[in-house]
Amino acid sequence: MDIRDNWRVILLAIFLVVSTFAIFAPGVGGDSTSSGAVVEETDSGPTNLKFGLELSGGTRIRAPVDGMTAEVSLSPQTQPGTVEKSVAGNLSNVGAGDVKVRLARAQNETTTVEVFSNNVTRDQLTSALDQSGYDYSNVRSGVTEATRNTVVRILRDKISKAGLSGGRVQQVETAQGEHFVVIEMPNTNRSQVEDLVTERGKVQIVAGFPARNQTGNDTQYRRVPLLSQGDFQSIGTAQESRTLGPNVPVVLNQQSAQNFSDSMRKFGFVTEGVGQCRWQTNPDDPGYCLYTVVDGETVYAANMGSRLAGTFRQEKFTQSPNFVMSTTNMSEARELQIHLNAGALPASLNMEQGTSYFLAPSLAEEFKLYSLITGLVAVGAVSAVVFLRYGDPKVAAPMLVTALSEVVILLGFAAAVQLPLDLSHIAGFIAVIGTGVDDLIIIADEVMSEGDVSSSRVFQSRFRKAFWVIGAAAATTIIAMSPLAVLSLGDLQGFAIVTILGVLIGVLITRPAYGDILRSLLTDK
Amino acid sequence: MVAFEVPEVDYTQYTNRQLAAIPLAVLAVALLVILGWYVFTGAPVQLGMEFTGGTELRAQTSTPPSEIPAAFSSEATVTPVQTTQNTYIVTFGPEAQNIANQARNNLQPVQGQQKADIVKSVQGTSASFGESTQRLALMGIGLAFVGMSVLVFLMFRSFVPSIAVVISAFSDIMIPVALMNLLGIPLSLGTVAALLMLIGYSVDSDILLNNHILRRSGGFYESTHRAMRTGVTMTVTSLSSMAVMAFVAYLFGIDLLASIGIVLVLGLATDLMNTYMLNLSLLRWYKYEGVAK
Repeated sequence: MDIRDNWRVILLAIFLVVSTFAIFAPGVGGDSTSSGAVVEETDSGPTNLKFGLELSGGTRIRAPVDGMTAEVSLSPQTQPGTVEKSVAGNLSNVGAGDVKVRLARAQNETTTVEVFSNNVTRDQLTSALDQSGYDYSNVRSGVTEATRNTVVRILRDKISKAGLSGGRVQQVETAQGEHFVVIEMPNTNRSQVEDLVTERGKVQIVAGFPARNQTGNDTQYRRVPLLSQGDFQSIGTAQESRTLGPNVPVVLNQQSAQNFSDSMRKFGFVTEGVGQCRWQTNPDDPGYCLYTVVDGETVYAANMGSRLAGTFRQEKFTQSPNFVMSTTNMSEARELQIHLNAGALPASLNMEQGTSYFLAPSLAEEFKLYSLITGLVAVGAVSAVVFLRYGDPKVAAPMLVTALSEVVILLGFAAAVQLPLDLSHIAGFIAVIGTGVDDLIIIADEVMSEGDVSSSRVFQSRFRKAFWVIGAAAATTIIAMSPLAVLSLGDLQGFAIVTILGVLIGVLITRPAYGDILRSLLTDK
Repeated sequence: MVAFEVPEVDYTQYTNRQLAAIPLAVLAVALLVILGWYVFTGAPVQLGMEFTGGTELRAQTSTPPSEIPAAFSSEATVTPVQTTQNTYIVTFGPEAQNIANQARNNLQPVQGQQKADIVKSVQGTSASFGESTQRLALMGIGLAFVGMSVLVFLMFRSFVPSIAVVISAFSDIMIPVALMNLLGIPLSLGTVAALLMLIGYSVDSDILLNNHILRRSGGFYESTHRAMRTGVTMTVTSLSSMAVMAFVAYLFGIDLLASIGIVLVLGLATDLMNTYMLNLSLLRWYKYEGVAK
């Protein structure tokens, strides 16, 4: 045994060991942060394999986001709020909160107007834009990527808050450019997922400040709820501006703006309270703070800024009742935005479009077992035919071992990258065994053709000939599968990816190794 | 151990025309079936729920199957699952809504189970989504086929052997599709996957045959026989494993694997015919007459 001659077999052995380790060793690949998993599954059985919904049970909803989007060109002085109000005014049943203007920030971006409603048609939006007098182009159904990202972020946040393990939220795009949000929740049925998507928490802005008590000789803290959901005309998207840093802009409606302005002056926020919030460092003596309270829990405390205090002092706040809530960093701003929205999505998901899937965990367990049995039976059939055909265990046995090792390596890969296995992947594994055995038959027949293999050199030349056919066939399979691996919405994607990977592993690692095994068995006689 | 051998066929007995006539006739019939299907139903194939939209419910209930449709407000088709008692697959059109709740409210649970356990799985697809999946699947098969053809032409760099592979692959897809129509197997994502796998399997044996005949020393019939010995073994191996898989998956009620299995069995059988009759006759013509010109 020369190492140089058998390096292919050694390589295969290494891959097998690594894969087995990846499948069975505890803790491998456990902290994957990719693939949009919010919370890792706590229990995955004796292996590190992850199972998708079809093999573990749960609900998957794939739904588009309701809305219409138009690209507009606005003059630089135009306020987004003005546009939103004007467009909403020209649409029936749409409030200013359902219209969103996103200004272009960079050269390659366009300014867009989105309407988040499922009953506004393209014609209605174009005529509303005409009436408001804005230039527009490219009116389409759907919402912008920024909105979809917000929807996905809020949903992920809700799932992790609800403590549901293994939930995933992703965006997918079809070949036709339609966008869908996919929610996958193990051990949950459809109505539970719908509740999670639509439920809203209770959010309040509460003023907390020191005030003299009744007798007038002692100070104590007072907390006065000032604003709740209905008081906001709109809650903006977390943004980072040059002068203010990361923040969330909000707009109040007229009536609450007056109350808010009056209270701020009465409670002393515009005079001694400016910039006097120490809640982060000293929660017992916090000073003058504006708290964001979600479901009774204080999640954020904000300072009164000096400029805003100025507008309150001059009683100008009601003229444009908007302010920003600054945060220390961008992720805090995004969190705050979600809190202010109390889990409400900026645009709703259209559950009647798209697909839904629910599988009871008990049935999933059966599917897992049954598909394993089905796979084993298929392998059994392959073995039977191969043994019948060659009648020589020396040829047939390594063939089966090699074909199975392709599956082990693929499973190891799946465990390492935490690919959730579904029925389509199982179909892929079966396809891999099928093409794998085909190729091994080509190698075996080629090598054993025209009499005995007398020397390594004869073997090498025959092996190379066989490899041309295998390589060509592998290349065609990869080409045939690649559109689906890239294009799909997921159902066939798993199948295509597994098949391509399997063919690659086969051509690069296992099939050459089979050649070496066969050579040592045939030439050492 | 009894070893089976691939029988040697005496191709000299048949002319190229005779050899090609059968597979081409079968292909023509298949295309006619598909065309007829298109004329009468508006779609070239029988589309499954994933493409037309609709809801599929898997329920375990003591309600007798004849009374199940009455439990729902939408029209329902009921199919029992072979391996599990009292379990049915009920399918609805795209307009059906709230199927899971209707099932929980109106069906009777089997003894020892609760109402919540009736629904084992529900999957629904909206009509518009189904349509877009349909386009995607067609595009996938189309692109795969074109990609395969281009690669085959690049590899062989001569027209007749390349077109022989491409025609065989085309026929390997079309004949199973026609058979699916006749046998009542709807096109689902699983069967699309199977049709794509067929491209791979089909090209495997065709490339093998072309390679042996065009690139190896030795006479035409000797090369053919050697290629057949390997190729038929390959196809028969895959065919038998897929047949067994289809049968077992059908018993277990795993539709996806069962339909993949059946389509592959049909396709691989077609591939045997196309490779060793159609492709072979084209190659023989090319080798003896085409090159000489």
